[in-house]
Amino acid sequence: MLNVVAVVSAVVLLATYLTWLAGRLDRLHARTDGARASLDAQLVRRAASAMAVAEYAVAAGLLSVATARALSSAARVASTAGVAERESAENDLSRSLHTAVPLLGQRDADLRGLLADLAAACSHVVLARRFYNDAVRDTRSVRRRHLVRWLRLSGHAPTPGYFEIDDTPTTALTALDPAQPT
Amino acid sequence: MKVGLVCPYPWDVPGGVMAHVRDLAEALIAAGHEVSVLAPVDDDEEPLPPYVVPAGRTVPVRYNGSVARLVFGPISARRARRWLRDGQFDVLHLHSPETLSLSLITLLQASGPIVATFHSANPRSRVLAAASPALQPALEKIQGRIAVSAAARRTIVEHLHGDAVLIPNGVHVKTFVGAEPMPGWPGTGGALGFLGRIDEPRKGLSVLLDAFSRLAQGRPGLRLLVAGPGDGDEVRAALPANLRDRVVLLGLISEEDKPRFYASVDLYVAPNIGGESFGIVLLEAMAAGTPVVASDLDAFRRVLDDGRAGKLFPIGDPDALAATLAGLLDDPTRREALADRGAARVAAYDWSAVARSVLGVYQTVRMAHPAHPTHRAHPVREEPAEPADPTIAPRSGAGPRAVAGS
Repeated sequence: MLNVVAVVSAVVLLATYLTWLAGRLDRLHARTDGARASLDAQLVRRAASAMAVAEYAVAAGLLSVATARALSSAARVASTAGVAERESAENDLSRSLHTAVPLLGQRDADLRGLLADLAAACSHVVLARRFYNDAVRDTRSVRRRHLVRWLRLSGHAPTPGYFEIDDTPTTALTALDPAQPT
Repeated sequence: MKVGLVCPYPWDVPGGVMAHVRDLAEALIAAGHEVSVLAPVDDDEEPLPPYVVPAGRTVPVRYNGSVARLVFGPISARRARRWLRDGQFDVLHLHSPETLSLSLITLLQASGPIVATFHSANPRSRVLAAASPALQPALEKIQGRIAVSAAARRTIVEHLHGDAVLIPNGVHVKTFVGAEPMPGWPGTGGALGFLGRIDEPRKGLSVLLDAFSRLAQGRPGLRLLVAGPGDGDEVRAALPANLRDRVVLLGLISEEDKPRFYASVDLYVAPNIGGESFGIVLLEAMAAGTPVVASDLDAFRRVLDDGRAGKLFPIGDPDALAATLAGLLDDPTRREALADRGAARVAAYDWSAVARSVLGVYQTVRMAHPAHPTHRAHPVREEPAEPADPTIAPRSGAGPRAVAGS
Protein backbone atom coordinates (compact mmCIF):
# COMPACT_ATOMS: atom_id res chain seq x y z
CA MET A 1 0.00 0.00 0.00
CA LEU A 2 2.78 2.38 1.00
CA ASN A 3 4.53 1.59 -2.25
CA VAL A 4 1.45 2.49 -4.24
CA VAL A 5 1.11 5.79 -2.39
CA ALA A 6 4.78 6.54 -3.03
CA VAL A 7 4.52 5.75 -6.74
CA VAL A 8 1.32 7.73 -7.15
CA SER A 9 2.71 10.77 -5.37
CA ALA A 10 5.91 10.54 -7.41
CA VAL A 11 3.90 10.47 -10.63
CA VAL A 12 1.74 13.38 -9.49
CA LEU A 13 4.80 15.38 -8.50
CA LEU A 14 6.53 14.66 -11.79
CA ALA A 15 3.45 15.56 -13.80
CA THR A 16 3.07 18.82 -11.88
CA TYR A 17 6.70 19.64 -12.45
CA LEU A 18 6.51 18.85 -16.17
CA THR A 19 3.39 20.94 -16.60
CA TRP A 20 5.08 23.83 -14.83
CA LEU A 21 8.21 23.39 -16.93
CA ALA A 22 6.22 23.33 -20.17
CA GLY A 23 4.40 26.49 -19.10
CA ARG A 24 7.67 28.16 -18.25
CA LEU A 25 9.08 27.27 -21.65
CA ASP A 26 5.95 28.56 -23.33
CA ARG A 27 6.31 31.88 -21.53
CA LEU A 28 9.95 32.08 -22.54
CA HIS A 29 9.13 31.49 -26.20
CA ALA A 30 6.44 34.14 -26.00
CA ARG A 31 8.88 36.56 -24.40
CA THR A 32 11.42 35.86 -27.14
CA ASP A 33 8.82 36.38 -29.89
CA GLY A 34 7.70 39.65 -28.32
CA ALA A 35 11.27 40.86 -27.95
CA ARG A 36 11.92 39.94 -31.59
CA ALA A 37 8.88 41.91 -32.72
CA SER A 38 10.13 44.88 -30.73
CA LEU A 39 13.63 44.52 -32.23
CA ASP A 40 12.21 44.34 -35.76
CA ALA A 41 10.14 47.46 -35.14
CA GLN A 42 13.18 49.36 -33.87
CA LEU A 43 15.28 48.24 -36.84
CA VAL A 44 12.58 49.41 -39.25
CA ARG A 45 12.47 52.73 -37.44
CA ARG A 46 16.25 53.07 -37.70
CA ALA A 47 16.16 52.35 -41.43
CA ALA A 48 13.38 54.92 -41.92
CA SER A 49 15.33 57.56 -39.97
CA ALA A 50 18.45 56.81 -42.00
CA MET A 51 16.46 57.13 -45.21
CA ALA A 52 15.09 60.51 -44.12
CA VAL A 53 18.61 61.72 -43.29
CA ALA A 54 19.90 60.49 -46.68
CA GLU A 55 17.11 62.27 -48.55
CA TYR A 56 17.78 65.51 -46.71
CA ALA A 57 21.53 65.21 -47.31
CA VAL A 58 21.00 64.69 -51.05
CA ALA A 59 18.62 67.65 -51.34
CA ALA A 60 20.97 69.90 -49.38
CA GLY A 61 24.09 68.62 -51.16
CA LEU A 62 25.75 67.66 -47.87
CA LEU A 63 27.08 64.29 -49.05
CA SER A 64 28.77 63.11 -52.21
CA VAL A 65 26.38 61.32 -54.54
CA ALA A 66 28.14 58.01 -53.89
CA THR A 67 27.95 58.27 -50.07
CA ALA A 68 24.32 59.40 -50.11
CA ARG A 69 23.38 56.60 -52.53
CA ALA A 70 25.19 54.01 -50.36
CA LEU A 71 23.28 55.19 -47.28
CA SER A 72 19.84 55.21 -48.87
CA SER A 73 20.36 51.86 -50.57
CA ALA A 74 21.64 50.31 -47.30
CA ALA A 75 18.54 51.67 -45.54
CA ARG A 76 16.25 50.29 -48.26
CA VAL A 77 17.90 46.86 -48.27
CA ALA A 78 17.78 46.69 -44.46
CA SER A 79 14.08 47.48 -44.30
CA THR A 80 13.16 44.81 -46.87
CA ALA A 81 15.69 42.08 -46.02
CA GLY A 82 14.45 38.56 -45.27
CA VAL A 83 15.34 36.68 -42.11
CA ALA A 84 18.49 35.10 -43.54
CA GLU A 85 20.01 38.35 -44.82
CA ARG A 86 18.80 40.54 -41.98
CA GLU A 87 21.97 40.65 -39.89
CA SER A 88 24.30 41.44 -42.77
CA ALA A 89 21.90 44.04 -44.17
CA GLU A 90 21.68 45.78 -40.78
CA ASN A 91 25.46 45.66 -40.46
CA ASP A 92 25.76 47.36 -43.87
CA LEU A 93 23.42 50.07 -42.65
CA SER A 94 25.47 50.54 -39.46
CA ARG A 95 28.61 50.87 -41.59
CA SER A 96 27.00 53.40 -43.93
CA LEU A 97 25.84 55.44 -40.94
CA HIS A 98 29.35 55.39 -39.45
CA THR A 99 30.65 56.78 -42.77
CA ALA A 100 27.94 59.30 -43.55
CA VAL A 101 26.82 60.83 -40.23
CA PRO A 102 30.16 62.46 -39.25
CA LEU A 103 30.20 64.24 -42.66
CA LEU A 104 26.82 65.90 -42.16
CA GLY A 105 27.52 68.52 -39.51
CA GLN A 106 24.49 70.15 -37.85
CA ARG A 107 23.79 73.11 -40.08
CA ASP A 108 20.12 73.79 -39.30
CA ALA A 109 17.24 72.83 -37.05
CA ASP A 110 15.73 70.46 -39.64
CA LEU A 111 18.90 68.43 -39.86
CA ARG A 112 19.35 68.46 -36.09
CA GLY A 113 15.80 67.16 -35.70
CA LEU A 114 16.43 64.35 -38.20
CA LEU A 115 19.68 63.44 -36.47
CA ALA A 116 18.01 63.44 -33.06
CA ASP A 117 15.41 61.00 -34.43
CA LEU A 118 18.18 58.84 -35.84
CA ALA A 119 20.10 58.94 -32.54
CA ALA A 120 16.99 57.85 -30.63
CA ALA A 121 16.30 55.09 -33.16
CA CYS A 122 19.89 53.82 -32.90
CA SER A 123 19.84 53.72 -29.10
CA HIS A 124 16.49 51.91 -29.14
CA VAL A 125 18.04 49.30 -31.42
CA VAL A 126 20.76 48.78 -28.80
CA LEU A 127 18.11 48.27 -26.09
CA ALA A 128 15.85 46.03 -28.14
CA ARG A 129 18.72 43.85 -29.34
CA ARG A 130 20.10 43.36 -25.84
CA PHE A 131 16.65 42.48 -24.47
CA TYR A 132 16.06 40.09 -27.36
CA ASN A 133 19.39 38.32 -26.90
CA ASP A 134 18.67 38.09 -23.17
CA ALA A 135 15.35 36.39 -23.92
CA VAL A 136 17.09 34.03 -26.35
CA ARG A 137 19.71 33.14 -23.74
CA ASP A 138 17.08 32.36 -21.09
CA THR A 139 15.00 30.33 -23.56
CA ARG A 140 17.93 28.31 -24.84
CA SER A 141 19.16 27.51 -21.35
CA VAL A 142 15.81 25.90 -20.48
CA ARG A 143 15.57 24.15 -23.88
CA ARG A 144 18.96 22.56 -23.26
CA ARG A 145 17.68 20.60 -20.24
CA HIS A 146 17.59 16.82 -20.68
CA LEU A 147 13.96 16.51 -19.64
CA VAL A 148 12.91 19.20 -22.08
CA ARG A 149 14.76 17.54 -24.95
CA TRP A 150 13.72 13.94 -24.16
CA LEU A 151 10.08 14.80 -23.76
CA ARG A 152 10.12 17.44 -26.54
CA LEU A 153 8.50 19.96 -24.22
CA SER A 154 9.32 22.77 -26.61
CA GLY A 155 6.97 21.30 -29.20
CA HIS A 156 7.38 22.70 -32.69
CA ALA A 157 8.85 26.04 -31.63
CA PRO A 158 12.19 26.49 -33.39
CA THR A 159 15.29 27.26 -31.32
CA PRO A 160 15.60 31.05 -31.31
CA GLY A 161 18.87 32.45 -32.65
CA TYR A 162 20.86 35.37 -31.29
CA PHE A 163 20.81 38.57 -33.34
CA GLU A 164 24.37 39.81 -33.73
CA ILE A 165 25.10 43.12 -35.41
CA ASP A 166 27.37 46.06 -34.73
CA ASP A 167 25.00 48.64 -33.32
CA THR A 168 27.47 50.94 -31.56
CA PRO A 169 26.11 54.40 -32.40
CA THR A 170 28.55 56.78 -34.07
CA THR A 171 30.08 59.33 -31.70
CA ALA A 172 28.53 62.12 -33.78
CA LEU A 173 25.13 60.79 -32.67
CA THR A 174 25.91 59.97 -29.02
CA ALA A 175 27.21 63.52 -28.63
CA LEU A 176 23.63 64.67 -29.24
CA ASP A 177 22.42 62.77 -26.18
CA PRO A 178 25.23 61.38 -23.99
CA ALA A 179 22.82 60.03 -21.38
CA GLN A 180 21.58 57.31 -23.71
CA PRO A 181 21.99 53.84 -22.23
CA THR A 182 24.96 51.75 -23.29
CA MET B 1 2.44 56.13 -19.21
CA LYS B 2 1.34 54.38 -16.00
CA VAL B 3 4.40 53.16 -14.18
CA GLY B 4 4.56 50.98 -11.06
CA LEU B 5 7.85 51.12 -9.17
CA VAL B 6 8.78 48.73 -6.37
CA CYS B 7 11.33 49.77 -3.75
CA PRO B 8 12.65 46.80 -1.71
CA TYR B 9 13.90 48.85 1.25
CA PRO B 10 11.91 50.91 3.78
CA TRP B 11 10.81 54.30 2.50
CA ASP B 12 11.52 56.00 5.85
CA VAL B 13 15.15 54.80 6.11
CA PRO B 14 17.47 56.86 3.91
CA GLY B 15 19.53 54.72 1.56
CA GLY B 16 20.94 54.56 -1.94
CA VAL B 17 18.26 52.41 -3.57
CA MET B 18 15.42 54.24 -1.84
CA ALA B 19 16.81 57.63 -2.97
CA HIS B 20 17.16 56.29 -6.51
CA VAL B 21 13.52 55.12 -6.60
CA ARG B 22 12.31 58.43 -5.13
CA ASP B 23 14.30 60.53 -7.61
CA LEU B 24 13.26 58.40 -10.58
CA ALA B 25 9.61 58.56 -9.50
CA GLU B 26 9.75 62.35 -9.19
CA ALA B 27 11.53 62.78 -12.52
CA LEU B 28 8.94 60.59 -14.26
CA ILE B 29 6.10 62.53 -12.63
CA ALA B 30 7.73 65.79 -13.72
CA ALA B 31 7.82 64.42 -17.27
CA GLY B 32 4.04 63.92 -17.11
CA HIS B 33 3.78 60.23 -16.30
CA GLU B 34 1.58 58.56 -13.74
CA VAL B 35 3.69 56.84 -11.08
CA SER B 36 2.92 54.68 -8.06
CA VAL B 37 5.65 53.37 -5.74
CA LEU B 38 5.14 50.26 -3.61
CA ALA B 39 7.53 50.34 -0.66
CA PRO B 40 7.85 48.97 2.87
CA VAL B 41 7.21 51.58 5.56
CA ASP B 42 8.34 51.03 9.15
CA ASP B 43 6.99 54.15 10.80
CA ASP B 44 3.24 54.55 10.32
CA GLU B 45 3.33 58.11 11.66
CA GLU B 46 5.73 59.37 9.00
CA PRO B 47 3.88 61.32 6.27
CA LEU B 48 4.36 59.74 2.83
CA PRO B 49 4.47 61.42 -0.57
CA PRO B 50 1.17 60.92 -2.43
CA TYR B 51 2.71 58.46 -4.91
CA VAL B 52 3.86 55.94 -2.25
CA VAL B 53 1.73 52.92 -1.32
CA PRO B 54 2.91 51.25 1.92
CA ALA B 55 3.48 47.48 1.79
CA GLY B 56 3.93 46.77 5.48
CA ARG B 57 6.81 46.70 7.93
CA THR B 58 10.21 45.14 7.38
CA VAL B 59 11.93 42.36 9.30
CA PRO B 60 15.56 42.86 10.30
CA VAL B 61 17.80 40.12 8.85
CA ARG B 62 21.41 39.76 9.89
CA TYR B 63 23.71 39.10 6.96
CA ASN B 64 27.44 39.58 6.52
CA GLY B 65 27.87 41.65 9.67
CA SER B 66 25.18 44.16 8.80
CA VAL B 67 21.43 44.20 9.23
CA ALA B 68 19.27 44.21 6.14
CA ARG B 69 15.68 45.27 6.59
CA LEU B 70 13.59 43.14 4.31
CA VAL B 71 9.91 42.58 3.84
CA PHE B 72 8.15 39.36 3.09
CA GLY B 73 5.21 37.29 4.17
CA PRO B 74 1.56 36.89 3.24
CA ILE B 75 0.54 40.43 4.19
CA SER B 76 3.08 41.99 1.84
CA ALA B 77 2.21 39.49 -0.87
CA ARG B 78 -1.46 40.43 -0.61
CA ARG B 79 -0.71 44.15 -0.66
CA ALA B 80 1.57 43.72 -3.67
CA ARG B 81 -1.14 41.82 -5.47
CA ARG B 82 -3.78 44.43 -4.71
CA TRP B 83 -1.39 47.19 -5.81
CA LEU B 84 -0.76 45.42 -9.12
CA ARG B 85 -4.47 44.93 -9.68
CA ASP B 86 -5.49 48.48 -8.80
CA GLY B 87 -2.57 50.08 -10.62
CA GLN B 88 -3.16 48.61 -14.10
CA PHE B 89 0.39 49.63 -14.95
CA ASP B 90 1.72 49.89 -18.48
CA VAL B 91 5.13 48.96 -17.10
CA LEU B 92 6.18 47.39 -13.81
CA HIS B 93 9.68 48.46 -12.74
CA LEU B 94 11.31 46.50 -9.88
CA HIS B 95 14.46 47.46 -8.03
CA SER B 96 16.99 44.88 -6.81
CA PRO B 97 14.71 41.87 -7.51
CA GLU B 98 17.63 39.51 -6.85
CA THR B 99 17.26 40.03 -3.10
CA LEU B 100 14.66 38.27 -0.99
CA SER B 101 12.41 41.26 -0.80
CA LEU B 102 9.23 43.04 -1.78
CA SER B 103 10.51 43.28 -5.36
CA LEU B 104 10.78 39.50 -5.63
CA ILE B 105 7.37 39.00 -4.00
CA THR B 106 5.84 41.35 -6.54
CA LEU B 107 7.70 39.73 -9.42
CA LEU B 108 6.33 36.31 -8.48
CA GLN B 109 2.78 37.60 -8.85
CA ALA B 110 3.22 39.75 -11.93
CA SER B 111 3.18 39.36 -15.66
CA GLY B 112 3.23 41.76 -18.59
CA PRO B 113 5.90 44.34 -19.37
CA ILE B 114 8.47 44.08 -16.54
CA VAL B 115 11.69 46.04 -16.17
CA ALA B 116 14.22 45.63 -13.35
CA THR B 117 17.13 47.72 -12.14
CA PHE B 118 20.07 45.96 -10.48
CA HIS B 119 21.92 48.10 -7.97
CA SER B 120 24.21 45.62 -6.30
CA ALA B 121 27.85 45.56 -7.40
CA ASN B 122 29.28 42.53 -5.70
CA PRO B 123 31.10 40.33 -8.21
CA ARG B 124 31.83 37.67 -5.60
CA SER B 125 28.46 37.45 -3.89
CA ARG B 126 28.17 33.87 -2.68
CA VAL B 127 24.56 34.39 -1.72
CA LEU B 128 23.69 35.56 -5.21
CA ALA B 129 25.58 32.67 -6.79
CA ALA B 130 23.79 30.14 -4.59
CA ALA B 131 20.37 31.71 -5.03
CA SER B 132 20.57 32.22 -8.77
CA PRO B 133 19.23 28.80 -9.94
CA ALA B 134 16.24 29.09 -7.59
CA LEU B 135 15.57 32.66 -8.68
CA GLN B 136 15.96 31.93 -12.38
CA PRO B 137 12.31 31.07 -13.17
CA ALA B 138 11.16 34.32 -11.56
CA LEU B 139 13.92 36.45 -13.06
CA GLU B 140 13.06 35.08 -16.51
CA LYS B 141 9.92 37.19 -16.43
CA ILE B 142 11.99 40.36 -16.55
CA GLN B 143 12.16 41.63 -20.13
CA GLY B 144 14.46 44.60 -19.68
CA ARG B 145 17.32 44.72 -17.24
CA ILE B 146 19.09 47.91 -16.21
CA ALA B 147 22.37 48.12 -14.29
CA VAL B 148 23.31 51.33 -12.51
CA SER B 149 27.05 50.82 -12.92
CA ALA B 150 29.52 48.78 -14.93
CA ALA B 151 30.22 46.76 -11.77
CA ALA B 152 26.52 46.02 -11.28
CA ARG B 153 26.31 44.92 -14.91
CA ARG B 154 29.29 42.60 -14.41
CA THR B 155 27.53 41.09 -11.38
CA ILE B 156 24.51 40.28 -13.55
CA VAL B 157 26.63 38.75 -16.28
CA GLU B 158 28.56 36.58 -13.83
CA HIS B 159 25.78 35.44 -11.50
CA LEU B 160 22.52 35.70 -13.38
CA HIS B 161 23.83 34.76 -16.83
CA GLY B 162 22.13 37.65 -18.53
CA ASP B 163 23.04 41.09 -19.68
CA ALA B 164 21.77 44.57 -18.91
CA VAL B 165 21.83 48.05 -20.31
CA LEU B 166 23.83 50.54 -18.30
CA ILE B 167 21.94 53.60 -17.08
CA PRO B 168 23.80 55.35 -14.28
CA ASN B 169 22.26 57.21 -11.34
CA GLY B 170 21.21 60.79 -11.84
CA VAL B 171 21.65 64.04 -9.93
CA HIS B 172 19.21 66.90 -9.44
CA VAL B 173 21.39 69.49 -11.13
CA LYS B 174 19.05 72.38 -10.30
CA THR B 175 19.25 71.91 -6.53
CA PHE B 176 23.03 72.37 -6.62
CA VAL B 177 23.13 75.49 -8.79
CA GLY B 178 23.70 78.89 -7.19
CA ALA B 179 23.81 77.84 -3.51
CA GLU B 180 25.00 80.36 -0.94
CA PRO B 181 28.43 79.43 0.51
CA MET B 182 28.84 79.01 4.29
CA PRO B 183 29.80 82.29 6.06
CA GLY B 184 33.52 82.99 5.66
CA TRP B 185 34.04 80.43 2.92
CA PRO B 186 35.81 79.89 0.55
CA GLY B 187 37.91 82.87 1.66
CA THR B 188 40.92 84.22 -0.17
CA GLY B 189 43.62 81.72 0.78
CA GLY B 190 42.08 78.80 -1.07
CA ALA B 191 39.67 76.13 0.18
CA LEU B 192 39.54 72.41 -0.56
CA GLY B 193 36.53 70.15 0.06
CA PHE B 194 36.00 66.46 0.84
CA LEU B 195 32.73 64.60 1.38
CA GLY B 196 32.44 61.01 2.56
CA ARG B 197 32.97 58.74 5.57
CA ILE B 198 36.17 60.04 7.15
CA ASP B 199 37.13 56.71 8.75
CA GLU B 200 36.55 54.58 5.63
CA PRO B 201 40.06 54.02 4.18
CA ARG B 202 38.77 53.52 0.62
CA LYS B 203 37.41 57.06 0.58
CA GLY B 204 41.05 58.12 0.70
CA LEU B 205 40.88 61.05 3.12
CA SER B 206 44.41 60.19 4.35
CA VAL B 207 45.78 60.79 0.84
CA LEU B 208 44.17 64.22 0.82
CA LEU B 209 45.43 65.01 4.36
CA ASP B 210 48.97 64.14 3.24
CA ALA B 211 48.71 66.38 0.21
CA PHE B 212 47.12 69.14 2.31
CA SER B 213 49.92 69.03 4.89
CA ARG B 214 52.47 69.50 2.12
CA LEU B 215 50.62 72.38 0.48
CA ALA B 216 49.53 74.15 3.66
CA GLN B 217 53.06 74.73 4.96
CA GLY B 218 53.73 77.12 2.08
CA ARG B 219 50.19 78.52 1.80
CA PRO B 220 49.17 80.14 5.07
CA GLY B 221 45.56 80.79 4.00
CA LEU B 222 44.75 77.33 2.62
CA ARG B 223 41.91 75.50 4.40
CA LEU B 224 40.22 72.12 4.11
CA LEU B 225 36.50 71.56 4.65
CA VAL B 226 35.52 67.97 5.47
CA ALA B 227 31.92 66.71 5.52
CA GLY B 228 30.99 63.18 6.49
CA PRO B 229 30.45 60.93 9.50
CA GLY B 230 33.30 59.29 11.43
CA ASP B 231 35.78 59.88 14.24
CA GLY B 232 37.19 63.40 13.89
CA ASP B 233 39.86 62.95 16.57
CA GLU B 234 41.74 60.48 14.38
CA VAL B 235 41.76 62.95 11.54
CA ARG B 236 43.11 65.73 13.75
CA ALA B 237 45.76 63.37 15.17
CA ALA B 238 46.99 62.65 11.65
CA LEU B 239 47.74 66.34 11.07
CA PRO B 240 50.71 68.40 12.24
CA ALA B 241 49.67 70.50 15.27
CA ASN B 242 49.99 73.84 13.47
CA LEU B 243 47.54 72.81 10.74
CA ARG B 244 44.76 71.41 12.90
CA ASP B 245 42.69 74.58 13.04
CA ARG B 246 42.81 74.87 9.25
CA VAL B 247 40.92 71.63 8.76
CA VAL B 248 37.23 72.10 9.55
CA LEU B 249 35.20 68.96 10.24
CA LEU B 250 31.47 69.40 9.68
CA GLY B 251 30.42 65.83 10.52
CA LEU B 252 27.46 64.35 8.68
CA ILE B 253 25.65 67.01 6.68
CA SER B 254 22.06 66.89 5.44
CA GLU B 255 21.04 66.68 1.78
CA GLU B 256 19.82 70.28 2.11
CA ASP B 257 23.25 71.47 3.23
CA LYS B 258 25.20 69.69 0.50
CA PRO B 259 24.84 72.41 -2.17
CA ARG B 260 26.14 75.00 0.31
CA PHE B 261 29.05 72.73 1.16
CA TYR B 262 30.13 72.46 -2.49
CA ALA B 263 29.71 76.20 -2.97
CA SER B 264 32.03 76.84 -0.02
CA VAL B 265 35.19 75.42 -1.59
CA ASP B 266 37.43 76.31 -4.55
CA LEU B 267 38.18 72.70 -5.43
CA TYR B 268 36.35 69.48 -4.64
CA VAL B 269 38.70 66.52 -4.09
CA ALA B 270 37.73 62.85 -4.50
CA PRO B 271 40.85 60.95 -3.40
CA ASN B 272 39.16 57.52 -3.32
CA ILE B 273 41.48 54.56 -3.60
CA GLY B 274 38.89 52.01 -4.73
CA GLY B 275 35.46 50.53 -4.23
CA GLU B 276 33.52 53.42 -5.70
CA SER B 277 31.05 52.09 -8.24
CA PHE B 278 29.81 55.46 -9.42
CA GLY B 279 30.96 59.02 -8.79
CA ILE B 280 27.74 60.63 -7.62
CA VAL B 281 29.63 63.10 -5.37
CA LEU B 282 31.66 64.22 -8.38
CA LEU B 283 28.48 64.94 -10.30
CA GLU B 284 27.07 66.93 -7.38
CA ALA B 285 30.21 69.05 -7.19
CA MET B 286 30.13 69.60 -10.96
CA ALA B 287 26.46 70.59 -10.75
CA ALA B 288 27.37 73.12 -8.06
CA GLY B 289 29.98 74.60 -10.41
CA THR B 290 32.91 73.51 -8.26
CA PRO B 291 35.91 72.17 -10.20
CA VAL B 292 36.75 68.55 -9.36
CA VAL B 293 40.06 66.80 -8.75
CA ALA B 294 39.65 63.03 -8.54
CA SER B 295 41.73 59.88 -8.44
CA ASP B 296 42.05 58.04 -11.72
CA LEU B 297 39.47 55.30 -11.02
CA ASP B 298 37.56 53.85 -14.01
CA ALA B 299 34.22 55.19 -12.79
CA PHE B 300 35.63 58.66 -12.13
CA ARG B 301 37.41 58.79 -15.48
CA ARG B 302 34.12 58.02 -17.22
CA VAL B 303 32.15 60.65 -15.30
CA LEU B 304 34.90 63.23 -15.88
CA ASP B 305 35.05 62.52 -19.62
CA ASP B 306 38.67 61.27 -19.50
CA GLY B 307 39.84 64.26 -17.50
CA ARG B 308 38.22 66.96 -19.64
CA ALA B 309 35.46 67.78 -17.14
CA GLY B 310 37.64 67.41 -14.03
CA LYS B 311 41.30 66.81 -13.25
CA LEU B 312 42.50 63.22 -12.62
CA PHE B 313 45.54 62.21 -10.55
CA PRO B 314 47.18 58.78 -9.99
CA ILE B 315 45.26 56.74 -7.37
CA GLY B 316 46.65 57.05 -3.82
CA ASP B 317 49.51 59.41 -4.77
CA PRO B 318 49.63 62.42 -2.37
CA ASP B 319 52.56 64.05 -4.21
CA ALA B 320 50.75 64.03 -7.52
CA LEU B 321 47.58 65.27 -5.80
CA ALA B 322 49.48 68.14 -4.12
CA ALA B 323 51.03 69.15 -7.45
CA THR B 324 47.65 69.03 -9.23
CA LEU B 325 45.98 71.08 -6.49
CA ALA B 326 48.79 73.66 -6.42
CA GLY B 327 48.54 74.17 -10.18
CA LEU B 328 44.79 74.77 -9.99
CA LEU B 329 44.85 76.89 -6.82
CA ASP B 330 47.26 79.26 -8.57
CA ASP B 331 45.21 79.54 -11.74
CA PRO B 332 41.62 80.81 -11.32
CA THR B 333 41.10 80.88 -15.10
CA ARG B 334 41.81 77.17 -15.42
CA ARG B 335 39.58 76.47 -12.43
CA GLU B 336 36.77 78.35 -14.08
CA ALA B 337 37.24 76.56 -17.40
CA LEU B 338 37.21 73.22 -15.58
CA ALA B 339 34.04 74.20 -13.70
CA ASP B 340 32.36 75.22 -16.99
CA ARG B 341 33.19 71.93 -18.67
CA GLY B 342 32.05 70.08 -15.55
CA ALA B 343 28.72 71.92 -15.54
CA ALA B 344 28.22 71.12 -19.24
CA ARG B 345 29.06 67.46 -18.67
CA VAL B 346 26.73 67.02 -15.70
CA ALA B 347 23.63 67.97 -17.72
CA ALA B 348 23.77 64.48 -19.27
CA TYR B 349 23.49 62.98 -15.78
CA ASP B 350 20.55 65.06 -14.59
CA TRP B 351 17.57 62.98 -13.45
CA SER B 352 15.52 64.34 -16.34
CA ALA B 353 18.03 62.81 -18.79
CA VAL B 354 18.19 59.57 -16.79
CA ALA B 355 14.40 59.35 -16.76
CA ARG B 356 14.40 59.77 -20.56
CA SER B 357 16.77 56.83 -20.89
CA VAL B 358 14.62 54.73 -18.56
CA LEU B 359 11.54 55.65 -20.60
CA GLY B 360 13.35 54.34 -23.67
CA VAL B 361 13.63 51.00 -21.89
CA TYR B 362 9.92 51.10 -21.00
CA GLN B 363 8.96 51.80 -24.62
CA THR B 364 11.16 49.01 -25.94
CA VAL B 365 9.71 46.50 -23.49
CA ARG B 366 6.13 47.63 -24.15
CA MET B 367 6.62 47.12 -27.87
CA ALA B 368 7.09 43.43 -27.13
CA HIS B 369 3.48 43.34 -25.85
CA PRO B 370 1.35 44.66 -28.69
CA ALA B 371 -1.76 42.76 -27.66
CA HIS B 372 -1.70 43.67 -23.99
CA PRO B 373 -0.53 47.20 -23.41
CA THR B 374 -1.54 47.12 -19.77
CA HIS B 375 0.15 45.32 -16.95
CA ARG B 376 -1.94 42.73 -15.11
CA ALA B 377 -1.64 40.70 -11.96
CA HIS B 378 -1.77 36.93 -12.09
CA PRO B 379 -4.78 35.33 -10.51
CA VAL B 380 -3.27 34.16 -7.23
CA ARG B 381 -4.20 30.75 -5.88
CA GLU B 382 -4.00 31.53 -2.17
CA GLU B 383 -6.83 34.03 -2.47
CA PRO B 384 -9.79 32.14 -3.83
CA ALA B 385 -12.19 34.27 -1.75
CA GLU B 386 -11.08 37.48 -3.45
CA PRO B 387 -14.18 39.19 -4.89
CA ALA B 388 -14.34 38.96 -8.64
CA ASP B 389 -12.73 41.97 -10.27
CA PRO B 390 -13.83 42.81 -13.79
CA THR B 391 -10.44 44.31 -14.61
CA ILE B 392 -8.54 41.05 -14.28
CA ALA B 393 -9.83 38.23 -16.34
CA PRO B 394 -8.46 34.89 -15.14
CA ARG B 395 -6.05 33.73 -17.78
CA SER B 396 -4.10 30.63 -18.59
CA GLY B 397 -0.53 30.13 -17.42
CA ALA B 398 0.91 31.89 -20.42
CA GLY B 399 -0.58 35.18 -19.23
CA PRO B 400 -0.62 38.25 -21.42
CA ARG B 401 2.18 36.94 -23.58
CA ALA B 402 0.12 34.10 -25.00
CA VAL B 403 -0.99 36.07 -28.02
CA ALA B 404 2.45 37.34 -28.91
CA GLY B 405 3.76 33.78 -28.71
CA SER B 406 1.21 31.99 -30.82
